[in-house]
Amino acid sequence: MDAHIRKVYVPMTETGFYILLCLQEPNHGYGIVQRVEKMTEGEIRLSPGTMYGSLSKMEKDGLITFIREEEKRKIYEITELGREVLRLEFQRIERLYRNAREERHER
Amino acid sequence: MKDRKTQFRYFTIMDYEKEGEYLRQMHKQGWKFTGISGMCFYKFEACEPEDVVYQLDYNEEGISHKEEYVKMFEDCGWEYLMEFVGYSYFRKPVSEMQGNEDGIFCDDNSRWEMLKRVFRGRLIPLILIFCGLVFFSIRAIIDHGIHSVDTIGFLCIVILYLVIFIASGIKALAIKKKISKDI
Repeated sequence: MDAHIRKVYVPMTETGFYILLCLQEPNHGYGIVQRVEKMTEGEIRLSPGTMYGSLSKMEKDGLITFIREEEKRKIYEITELGREVLRLEFQRIERLYRNAREERHER
Repeated sequence: MKDRKTQFRYFTIMDYEKEGEYLRQMHKQGWKFTGISGMCFYKFEACEPEDVVYQLDYNEEGISHKEEYVKMFEDCGWEYLMEFVGYSYFRKPVSEMQGNEDGIFCDDNSRWEMLKRVFRGRLIPLILIFCGLVFFSIRAIIDHGIHSVDTIGFLCIVILYLVIFIASGIKALAIKKKISKDI
C-alpha cells in the first residue's frame, strides 16, 4: 500500500468505512445507502453527493472496482487493496474501543 | 395574478450554497424555480409555498455519466432539475428528508472535495485566462502606451478578474473555516 492511500484512507471517514464494509458483497450506491440506514437503525443516512463522490474516488484509487451496470446503477465490489485498508481501519477502531473501555474501568 | 416571474441575481463561483438558499427562500414564498437564462436571470413559476431544499453539486464526472449520476440522486429522493455551467441542480422537500439528512452531502470531507472540484474546474481556467490578459495588457502598454484605448480596455478586464478572484478566495476561506470548525 503506498503512502498516498494510507494518508487519505487511514483513518477514514464514516462514509468511506461503511462503503467498504458494504462492498464486501457487490452492491450499488443506493443499495449501500439502504443497508447503512438499516444497520444504524436510521441514524445514518448517506447523501447522494457524498456517495457519488466517494465511490468515484475509491474506484480511481483502486479500493473498489466496477463490475456491471443494472438499471442505470453501477455495481461495485471491494478489491484486495480495499480489504487491506478495511483491515487497518478495523484494527484502529478495535484499539480505540479497547482503550476507551480500559480508561473507563480505571475511573 | 402573475404566475411567472424572472429575477436578476448574480452569484460568484463559490456562492453555490447561497444560491441554493436563495432558491429555497423563493420556494417558501410560493415561487418554484424553473431555470436560468443569460447567466443571471432566474425564472420561477407560482406554486404552493413549501420548504424545499435546493442544492448544487459540481461534478464533471457525474455530468459525463449523467444517467447513473442522476439515478443515484433520484433513488435518494432528490429531483434533478438541470445542469448549468458545470453545476447540477437538485431539490427535495424538507418533509421527505429522513434521519440526519439535510442535503446532498453528509460529511465535511465531501463538502471539501466539492470545493476542490469547483476550484479545479472553474477557477484554474479563469486564472489561465487572467495570465493571458496580463500578458496582453503589458504588450498594449509597450506598444500603445498607458493611455491608449487598448491598454485601458485590458486593464479594466484585469481589474474585474482580480475582483472575482479576491471574492472567490474570501469565500473559499470562509467555507474552509466553516468546514474545519465543524471537524
